[in-house]
Amino acid sequence: MDPERTGVRMDRMLRVNMTDRSATFEPLPAAYRNRAGRWLTSSIVHDEVPASCHPLGPNNKVIFSPGFVTGTAAPTSSRISVGGKSPLTGGIKEANAGTGWGRRLARLGIRALVVEGQSTDNRFWLLKVDTKGATFEPADPWVGKKLSEAVAAIAAKSGGKERVDVCAIGVAGEHRMGAAGVCFTDREGRASRYAGRGGLGAVLGSKGLKAIVVDDSGAADVPIADKATFDSGRKKLAAALGEHAITKPKGALNSYGTAVLVNILNEAGGLPTRNFREGRFEGAAKIAGEAIFAGNKERLGHDLYNHPCSPGCIIACSNTWHHKDRSEHTSCIEYESDWAFGADCGISDLDQIAELNLLCNEYGLDTIEIGGTLGVAAEGGLWKFGDGKRAIELVHEIDKATPLGRILGNGALITGRAFGVTRVPHVKGQSMPAYEPRAVKGIGMTYAVSTMGADHTSGYTIAPEILGVSGKLDPLDPKKTDLARTFQYATAFIDSTGHCLFIAFAILDIASGFEGVVEECSGVLGTKWTMDDVGRIGKAVLDLELDFNRRAGFTAADDRLPEFMSREPLPPHNGVWDVPDAEIDKVFAS
Amino acid sequence: MIVEVRRYASLGASGTGQLPGDPQDVELEDGATIARLLEELALPPEAVHLVIVDGRIRHDREEALRHGARVALFPPVGGG
Repeated sequence: MDPERTGVRMDRMLRVNMTDRSATFEPLPAAYRNRAGRWLTSSIVHDEVPASCHPLGPNNKVIFSPGFVTGTAAPTSSRISVGGKSPLTGGIKEANAGTGWGRRLARLGIRALVVEGQSTDNRFWLLKVDTKGATFEPADPWVGKKLSEAVAAIAAKSGGKERVDVCAIGVAGEHRMGAAGVCFTDREGRASRYAGRGGLGAVLGSKGLKAIVVDDSGAADVPIADKATFDSGRKKLAAALGEHAITKPKGALNSYGTAVLVNILNEAGGLPTRNFREGRFEGAAKIAGEAIFAGNKERLGHDLYNHPCSPGCIIACSNTWHHKDRSEHTSCIEYESDWAFGADCGISDLDQIAELNLLCNEYGLDTIEIGGTLGVAAEGGLWKFGDGKRAIELVHEIDKATPLGRILGNGALITGRAFGVTRVPHVKGQSMPAYEPRAVKGIGMTYAVSTMGADHTSGYTIAPEILGVSGKLDPLDPKKTDLARTFQYATAFIDSTGHCLFIAFAILDIASGFEGVVEECSGVLGTKWTMDDVGRIGKAVLDLELDFNRRAGFTAADDRLPEFMSREPLPPHNGVWDVPDAEIDKVFAS
Repeated sequence: MIVEVRRYASLGASGTGQLPGDPQDVELEDGATIARLLEELALPPEAVHLVIVDGRIRHDREEALRHGARVALFPPVGGG
């Protein structure tokens, strides 16, 4: 039986045209019947968006798609994929976030929300989606406002945060900046969960769409074709997540958050410091997840474990940081954000890091891109590494949309060009995340070939290279071609399920957990997928994305790390980037 | 010989009076192994998931340490 032709879900697509502000429900095309999440966003971008279009013009589209199991009782599955052509990279983009928003969209039977066209009246609009349909209203009251204020007001007037979740862009998106992310509400209604990377917030801004509020009250449960298989699968996954030391309650993620990685990368000499000049940061222990836990305990007077970002998550890794007066400062200081504003900027003050994190959440910015941009800006003489007060002032420039703010808000590559900086850590125009390629070769290969630009979530080879999860590899060993490929295939599958990528820590070590994920998907869709389908689907997703990027003009020359990494030895290992180009080109050659 | 030990995450919270990551000098006989260090620290071997010595991840617990080595000990951790 062809596993593509057994689907039973009767899901719809909602097509929203911003040129004439029409909203049309269509049956999901047969070819997409068993696609969801990243597989579906990348399929629609591949099939409908001209690869040569201007990312901020009327021919680009933004596609939202919940995963196969989003909206069901599957644990840790409230991810929403957002796709389009990236203004930052000029290639295909999928970024995803954990939020109840995608869950509500799934419960409305909407497998894909496609935003196309472009507003011609120079105004911003709010789209409301519920069981009755989709309607527009002017978004004027929230333009230029901080996202926490805008999102709270939109939720309040739409029935309250129990009833709705909100997706919105901030000032950065309104000004079409390349570092603009797409913000979603968390379980408590905070404007804090981001499909951050690649500038998709700018694409929504270019269309004149400020926010989308989704109300699923009165919606039916997501239909499940084969409940026995689904239940078997979700129980296997829940057991694996509850058992594994990283994902279990009061385990590493629940206690210390993702920033628990700061010390481990620092010890391994792979924590990029001061714009990728060094691999160790003397202030690492002061900003690490352990320090966040200890600081909160000191200020609050009790242990504070982390919370779920979205409904149904049993890992619960999302943290909060508190002011000295015990009030909440920001959520969430992820490892990447902590590193970006901390080690990469030479800042070891958690209150300053928290403020930079908060400002990015308020202005609608990707923390990784902005941290990387600040690192480049320091090289360019705009400020001195470690001067947190000045870094905060620079981020305010982005909110004010001054000429300097617009340069910074367009990311590390643009900033490097504007200020004559050659040490710009990026691939395909997207700034590098918190793992140094010269010290961790497999992640460097992944950055190089990823269809997304430099992106650790494309294939988290850190698991076997550093963390001793799913294997124990030497991070300095350059032979990682197969690793980079297989991890990207597996990840593309997980990104299509609606599960958070963090389930990988458990399911890569506990085989029954991975089988459970496949059973969940088959249970929802009525397919007979096996573990063999994981690689097949992952490859199908990557093939679509690679084809789009080829048509957009990318060649092997774009699959390269910046030249300075081949020239400058990185302390403490003092190695350079030495993976041969021919090996990089083999990753997706077959 | 003396090695400089850093105990991170939950390994640092076990009654040492130190914050996770504070360096701690530990005196061992010359040629002592990683396993011997864990014994000296009264850490159950299975509680320590990852050992990093001078920036290199070490999976062989019978490997000898050198005087002055920087040793980092971690429970299972993940993130991203």
